[in-house]
Amino acid sequence: MSSYRLPKGGLVDRKAPLSFTFDGRPLQGFAGDTLASALLANGQMLVGRSFKYHRPRGILTSGAAEPNALVTIGRGGRTEPNTRATVQELYEGLAAQSQNRWPSLDFDIGALNGLLSPFLGAGFYYKTFMWPAPLWEKFYEPFIRKAAGLGKASYDPDPDSYEKSWAHCDLLVIGAGPTGLAAALTAGRAGARVLIVDEGSLPGGSLLSDSATIDGKPAADFARDTSAELQSMPNVRVMMRTTAFGWYDGNVFGAVERVQKHVRDPARHLPVERLWRIVARHALLATGAEERPLIFGGNDRPGVMMASAMRTYLNRYAVAPGQATAIFTTDDSGYALARDLEAARVDVVAIIDSRPSAGVDYRGKARLIREAVVCRTKGRKAISAIEVHRGGRAETIAIDALAMAGGFSPIIHLACHRGGKPTWSAEKVAFLAPSGLKDLDLAGAAAATTDLAACLAEGAAQAKAIVEEFGWSCPPIVLPKVEGTEGTHASKPLWSIPGVKGKAFVDFQNDVHLKDIGLAVREGYSHVELAKRYTTNGMATDQGKLSNVNAIGLIAKARGVSPAEVGTTTFRPFYTPVSFGALTGPHHGHQFQPVRKSPLHDWAKKHGAVFVETGLWYRSSWFPRNGERSWRESVDREVVNVRQNAGLCDVSMLGKIEISGSDAAEFLNRVYCNAFLKLPVGKARYGLMLREDGMIYDDGTTSRLEENRFFMTTTTAYAAGVMNHLEFCAQALWPELNVRLASSTDQWAQMAIAGPKARAILQKIVDEDISDAAFPFLAAKEVALFGGTLHGCLFRISFSGELAYELAVPAGYGESVADALMEAGKDHGIMPYGVEALSVLRIEKGHVTHNEINGTVVPADLGFGKMVSGTKPDFIGKAMLQREGLAAPDRAQLVGVVPLDPKQSFRSGSHILAKGAAAALENDEGYVTSSAYSPHVGSTIGLALVKRGPSRHGEEVVVWNGLHGESTPARLCNPVFLDPQNERLHV
Amino acid sequence: MSEFRPTLRPVLGTKQAVSSATLKLSPLPEGTIIHVLARPGEQDMAPFLESLPKAAGHAVRPVSPGQWFIVREEQMPHQEMKSLFAALEPRATGVDQSHGRVRIRIEGKMAARALSKGTALDLDPSAFPVGQSAVTLIGHIAAHITRVGSEAFEIIVLRGFAESLWDDLARMSLEFS
Amino acid sequence: MASLVPCPHCGQRPKEEFTIKGAALTRPAAGADASDWFDYVYLRDNPRGAYEEYWHHTSGCRRWIVLTRDTVTHEVAASRDAADRPRSEART
Repeated sequence: MSSYRLPKGGLVDRKAPLSFTFDGRPLQGFAGDTLASALLANGQMLVGRSFKYHRPRGILTSGAAEPNALVTIGRGGRTEPNTRATVQELYEGLAAQSQNRWPSLDFDIGALNGLLSPFLGAGFYYKTFMWPAPLWEKFYEPFIRKAAGLGKASYDPDPDSYEKSWAHCDLLVIGAGPTGLAAALTAGRAGARVLIVDEGSLPGGSLLSDSATIDGKPAADFARDTSAELQSMPNVRVMMRTTAFGWYDGNVFGAVERVQKHVRDPARHLPVERLWRIVARHALLATGAEERPLIFGGNDRPGVMMASAMRTYLNRYAVAPGQATAIFTTDDSGYALARDLEAARVDVVAIIDSRPSAGVDYRGKARLIREAVVCRTKGRKAISAIEVHRGGRAETIAIDALAMAGGFSPIIHLACHRGGKPTWSAEKVAFLAPSGLKDLDLAGAAAATTDLAACLAEGAAQAKAIVEEFGWSCPPIVLPKVEGTEGTHASKPLWSIPGVKGKAFVDFQNDVHLKDIGLAVREGYSHVELAKRYTTNGMATDQGKLSNVNAIGLIAKARGVSPAEVGTTTFRPFYTPVSFGALTGPHHGHQFQPVRKSPLHDWAKKHGAVFVETGLWYRSSWFPRNGERSWRESVDREVVNVRQNAGLCDVSMLGKIEISGSDAAEFLNRVYCNAFLKLPVGKARYGLMLREDGMIYDDGTTSRLEENRFFMTTTTAYAAGVMNHLEFCAQALWPELNVRLASSTDQWAQMAIAGPKARAILQKIVDEDISDAAFPFLAAKEVALFGGTLHGCLFRISFSGELAYELAVPAGYGESVADALMEAGKDHGIMPYGVEALSVLRIEKGHVTHNEINGTVVPADLGFGKMVSGTKPDFIGKAMLQREGLAAPDRAQLVGVVPLDPKQSFRSGSHILAKGAAAALENDEGYVTSSAYSPHVGSTIGLALVKRGPSRHGEEVVVWNGLHGESTPARLCNPVFLDPQNERLHV
Repeated sequence: MSEFRPTLRPVLGTKQAVSSATLKLSPLPEGTIIHVLARPGEQDMAPFLESLPKAAGHAVRPVSPGQWFIVREEQMPHQEMKSLFAALEPRATGVDQSHGRVRIRIEGKMAARALSKGTALDLDPSAFPVGQSAVTLIGHIAAHITRVGSEAFEIIVLRGFAESLWDDLARMSLEFS
Repeated sequence: MASLVPCPHCGQRPKEEFTIKGAALTRPAAGADASDWFDYVYLRDNPRGAYEEYWHHTSGCRRWIVLTRDTVTHEVAASRDAADRPRSEART
């Protein structure tokens, strides 16, 4: 006989029937059901196949710890494998598929693995398939992967949205069972900011499954009324369907809220899941306790269920587990179940109690067998009988459902997430939370308090103590009157059962059974962490919620020590699995990272720019024109046009820092390796910034706009890093200096206007005289534009080697000014140019970028040796730059490189070999750092860092690229390919 | 080209305000933002900044130790700004950030809830009262938040990130719009 | 997942707002021995327990701070502005 729905009772809404399917079979449940309760109500006891042996499995629990009833929910991009049927709320149209079976759940070929079980025991990965080694990758692993497993993820994109949020509270209560509700109510009434979270859909926790009465009303009604009062308080927030999964530094708790996992069609304006980070002044874990399975042969057969789960299905969902049930118990909770089953007219055939006497006076109809154990079950895909041993005598009893009550383990996971180790309590027969926790307490069943009235009292008392500590005054606590509960006696743990026959599972999800644990101990893996890895006990997605304490008990017994001596494995987040969607939140697709837009972005766009991502910026690469068939054509045209006429390039993304204060010059003198103290007002200077180890960190120009006001530019890539570095120098190294730093990168739209016609074009919009005499090379000053209607800064600096300027104007006017320059330059042939052309221009001129400043070069390596001040008493990098090795003659230094045959080319990253040398590491002479096709030279050109490079101009070498199989005869040369006398700069 | 009049292009000019009964998100005019940086060791300059004669119609927002923003709705003429900067010296330096930063207003019953999707700041009025400012991450973007009313916040963000932050804020507001 | 770092100016903030530089060492004087510089640039203790580190509140007040952090528990015992000297006057 199968499980079935009782004609009345429960908290399900019988007026709201819901249709759903399981493996395509249409079934019906009610609103308020979980998928598991609905499956049981339909008599579907077989719900999956086990991981390794493909054994038929049923529903074991009614909550988060479920190891067996893992199903795949949804279709397409919404496919969600490994969903625990016991926590999945039923909704209209839910489609569930069983997993790990082929071709069907009922007939599963993989079940043959059971026959192979002698080879699949603990450590089988390390033993059985070791030889021959090549077979591992080709045969064993694919075979094991196919046979063992969970559900399959979808390759379709997830159509739903996820988000993250922060919350803050004085008291975070985790768990809305009796303890948590009492705590939240007490703290809430006192006026504290309270947040109470619970993984379930309804507040109440165990109250929803309890047949006790509180103040004369059913426990579930008490839960409903209490939560209604909580919801009415403005200082209290009740968050259901929210699992607190981790405890982190600073008393931050991670939680995931399943906002729309219980609906078929999620609303677009809401996420399906929300990841919470909850900052709590104090937290109270009222997480309850987990009932432990008992380890007897065939304890995994469908129809065997945790006693507390059976009670939940009975009382909350009105589902009977069968018609002839038995209860195997080690504590008094089994009697509460017996009483409730009998009240629902479900036959209890026998109660098998491992103890000589119970703490309760049972008066029901069931046969009571004391000092007895169940040593195995019988049946095929569902349980049909149990074999009971008592005093050496075996007896077979026919049943169709079996509850097992192995005692309770407090759920202390979160309390252990910050490194504390649980402590074993011999008195409570349980692992308790680490002692000495800060800002976190446990109450109720999580602290091994089992009596309902005691839990209510403890929750209230602890909350009172916490909020009073914070300074609130707490109204007197009035405890409700609890009736109809059983007395509780601690269970007598029964780690191993004598006379067990067949496979007795410890870890259901990973198919670890009793013998595996014994084998691990015998083979020397008796340390709890080793036993875990050797057997894989506790390593499944349920993280051993049901199995860990039992495994520890078994190891303790095998080693002849107390569980205290065995200890636990390490508890780590997450308490239950968290979806990647929730962890990612909104940060995927185009919101993966922010986009940083130049003020000239739209200007570039309207000129047809092709953009490239550089860091967070979008920079214009090139501006294709009609008829151009390749990017190279566009870039060549832009380069040639700059050399012949003029070009306009957006350089707004260069880092810009305003440095002011009476010690600004002294500050710059210390952060640059070259001298800045005497830079005249109105002048720009190229500066090299070193790291403290003497290597170049960044370069740029810095201009002195006033005596105590400088305008620094940095490279785009290092803008943020340089600002952090300068702040470090100003705040941590030299706080005595009067210097202030303001990032003004975003304030300015900055344009490079380069080419022989640049001055003529600029003069049309700049009010001041910018003739060579009035505004020579490296001049820098504030200028007025358009007859004084706008003010900006003009710098006569050049990256291209041409007559060139950089003009900075307030960002909001950038596009308008760029338009004006294009208009002013129309007759001069001005064109926009992008970073590709910019790069070609600078390589032709031998200017370096971070391709060359790659963290391994000192100034002398790039030909800047003479720039380094020998007179400054100190600057960043000065001391370490003195090291002998940094002046070694065979250092890789900057040199130009051209192919012997102009029709040949080479790539950046290629290595330089001496002519005739074999391509071997010991013959490596250096590498190409930058390369481009140079319209000026008429071939590919490159910059390279080559050993003794500057003394080897003219030498023939080979440019070798092993990745592409290229080998190009080339010649080393002066890295300045254009205008080595700098005549073009000074026109 | 002295007859040419450059035109301002507000970075959030094309964004549609988000507006509902519980939440309103709107770009503020690109007026004036001046970054004031006091010299090291200087006293709290906020009272001085508030009292500046030129500061009529300005609001002063603390940024970090020794730093403030002076904000106002209207643009400040070049000369007026120059003389304001002069008045700050030598105690502090003024840096024009009117274009470097953009202001966004978010208000309504659910404004704090929406912002909490991005920032770890405790925005409860008891922890973050009217007039309080802080620089914090909103999602992946650093921004300056001021509570300007019991249910209203002003956000100041770097111009280059303004569109991205706007899009983030609009998404965070979706639930309430 | 999450953790909070106390900034002496801004209070508790998520670690994502900060940049960590590493050990809060004193920069040697300009003319110090090469070995002092070598220690400063390259050598780091790896203590179990209290450790002074430079952190930068990059996405906040942009101040460099010195945290006294326990390398085992991540507990922060003290947090002060890096410009505040001497070190004995650390505040929490």
